[in-house]
Amino acid sequence: MAAEGSRSLVRLNAVDRRGRNIEPAVLAAAEEIFPKALEHGLKLLGDPAVVTTALEEVAAMVSRIRTKDSPVNAMPVRDVRAYLFQGFLRQINRIKRKQPKLVRFGEVSRTPNPPWAHASQQFENKVLLDECLARCHPFAREMALRRMQGFSWEEIGRDYGLSAHAAEAWFSYALKQARERLNI
Amino acid sequence: MRDNKKRREIDEEEFFGFAKKYLAEAFPNPQRIDCPPDSELTRLAEHPTEADPFISQHLTSCSPCFNRYMEILARRRAG
Repeated sequence: MAAEGSRSLVRLNAVDRRGRNIEPAVLAAAEEIFPKALEHGLKLLGDPAVVTTALEEVAAMVSRIRTKDSPVNAMPVRDVRAYLFQGFLRQINRIKRKQPKLVRFGEVSRTPNPPWAHASQQFENKVLLDECLARCHPFAREMALRRMQGFSWEEIGRDYGLSAHAAEAWFSYALKQARERLNI
Repeated sequence: MRDNKKRREIDEEEFFGFAKKYLAEAFPNPQRIDCPPDSELTRLAEHPTEADPFISQHLTSCSPCFNRYMEILARRRAG
């Protein structure tokens, strides 16, 4: 922040974007805190135009409060710059909250599935399981039971007199047919 | 245009994990209707190609028999 009494090189508009006037004293205070406000605002919002507009709006609101015959004026603002800066912080926080949150694709892929996706997956699994168990060959059905108990395809193949690959292919074919019937 | 449709790969571990939990709880069958004797379950575990197809069908709609069959398979695998 610039030293007390010194003027910033930056000039703000004496009217905010809604056409409300800014008092000369408040405008001077706003120009003084502008470098600090800009630095902070850029970190949060990233756009100097938005930051400047926010500061002008706050300056207009402060001007309005000072000129209005309101209970606030019963206790005059002692430090306009600090008062303005506090108002500016509240304003940019409000703007930040209203901004739509953009998430990069990479961040989405790193996050776990949301609960609704899990429920949808469970439903799909249930439908597929019902279809597979109800209509597939008894051998494929029993192979599925063994897989549920943690048997490897080698172990299953041994019990059925098949190679591991053949046992797996047998079951995969039954599952594929069930998926095709369900179109999932 | 089925050939052009790219199907999502099934996560086998997740699918069988779900299936086991589902079949273990979804069909209580407290009256044990149509349940085969233990010997039939053991026969299915030992000689799956010779067993009655009804047995494996029944296991998919009776949680007590399913759980018993899982025990038999587990014991067979361990021994």
